[in-house]
Amino acid sequence: MFEAGAALVAWLGMSLVVLADGRRGLALGAALATAGVALVVIQSAGPIDAGALTLGGAVMAVRRLANGPGGWQLMPPGSTPRLVLCIAAGLLALWIAFSVTTGAGAALRFAVMTVVGLAGARVLSSDEPSVLLTALGLLALAIAAITGMGEAWQGPWPYVAAGLFAAAVGWLPVRAPHAA
Amino acid sequence: MLPESAEVVLFAAFALAFALVFAPAAAPRRALLFRGGAGLAGTIAIAAVPTFELVLLTLLTLGVLNAAVDGKQQLAVRLRAPVLAVAVFAMGLVLARAAGPEVLDRFAAVGLVAGVAAGIGLLPYLHPFDPEDAVTGSPVAWMAFIGPALAVVVVAGTRGLLPAEAGGVFGAMLIGVGLLNVAWGGVAAWLTENTVAAWRYSFTADWGLAMCGFGLTVVDGRRAALLVLFSIVLCRLPLYLASPQSLRARTATERPVNLVVAAALAGSAPFAGFAARVLLLRGATQVFWPLGLVLAVGMLLWLPGSLRLGRSLGVPRGRQALGVALVLALNVAVGLYPLPLLEAARL
Repeated sequence: MFEAGAALVAWLGMSLVVLADGRRGLALGAALATAGVALVVIQSAGPIDAGALTLGGAVMAVRRLANGPGGWQLMPPGSTPRLVLCIAAGLLALWIAFSVTTGAGAALRFAVMTVVGLAGARVLSSDEPSVLLTALGLLALAIAAITGMGEAWQGPWPYVAAGLFAAAVGWLPVRAPHAA
Repeated sequence: MLPESAEVVLFAAFALAFALVFAPAAAPRRALLFRGGAGLAGTIAIAAVPTFELVLLTLLTLGVLNAAVDGKQQLAVRLRAPVLAVAVFAMGLVLARAAGPEVLDRFAAVGLVAGVAAGIGLLPYLHPFDPEDAVTGSPVAWMAFIGPALAVVVVAGTRGLLPAEAGGVFGAMLIGVGLLNVAWGGVAAWLTENTVAAWRYSFTADWGLAMCGFGLTVVDGRRAALLVLFSIVLCRLPLYLASPQSLRARTATERPVNLVVAAALAGSAPFAGFAARVLLLRGATQVFWPLGLVLAVGMLLWLPGSLRLGRSLGVPRGRQALGVALVLALNVAVGLYPLPLLEAARL
């Protein structure tokens, strides 16, 4: 039950990242999604692995709060397709994770599929660097969380690498495109 | 690190060294060293890391760095292909690791093949291309530098990830994607207006053969794939780099050297591409002979495009001529006697 709640928090946070264009909305979404993924990971992996993800996600969220378009800009005009995407992706992931697939770790599958799917969709549909970098950081955290689905323990390195990536990606200098 | 992927990394290191030594004088060598070095470090990481998750994170890092540092297009456009690759690959990985009905493994195979194709920049996920981009920032860097290691690692890794039946589906899809790229790349390299774009499509066509080789479940297929990768990294890429970049669109000469280069690019005897094609046809005939027939017809598409690209090289002089001669000699040596290369990869 705890895991399922955490996975739902991850979906909620990722949905916020999809629905918001302002830095406050993005930062809150990043923090929620990170917390959700980390809480699911703590069950399947361990506190050190989850801690690495939390730290990386927290740095990313703080950085986002200080950088990017101002305000919340939550669901600006024309956001209906994004809202539909969030709900549809959540339902599809819920069905696959809890019904189609079997065995333990359904919450982890749900969290990973929603974060990967929605982060990928956000990168493909946005041009704003702060949005892109937030989605990229969350995508990295979700990729590390897949490690928990493997049968053998693979060490903390995927989690540490993802945490470092998420923490660093916010500082990436974004160059303006060269004039044609 | 797998011997096969170690060999591909070595190819990439040679290609970078070639670029630094023999690239036209106008090319900025310091930028090439930094960006090529970062790409090589990423390629080594892809080949050396022990888990798929770390491969994906490395790929994501390379994609982000490449998109942020280089190129004329905006960040969002340049990020799309690597992010799509990582996302579909991750979805495939989730489905492959989850227990459930058999169809899940097939969807996993779809995700893995789509991830490889998008990561390398093959059809149906061609990376955005601008003929004015530097090599380090163009899709050629993914196809000829990072892509080979990625493909080798993924194909080797899926053997333990997917059950036998889904492994067959994975191979069949690789062949399907390969044939699509052979046909599209071959025709486009011949008919596209821009010569730089023609070079890019010629890489696509070569990759089609490599994907077909990977998809065949016999050892000849893997041998062919390795030799195709060799000819991509240490024949087509150096010749592309040796061609005078600023003049590439308008240079067209018909000297003997241009015909020899065209023969090497087309995979004629005695170059490495020929050995790869023979092994591929042999492997395809073992698996399903009509596939060999289709591949043989597809291979004819290399001729017109290669003649065009050979002519675009111009007349190499000085250091470039030496570089072209070295590339041709190396490809003749591997074409005549590929066994050491194959044995080093334990194939």
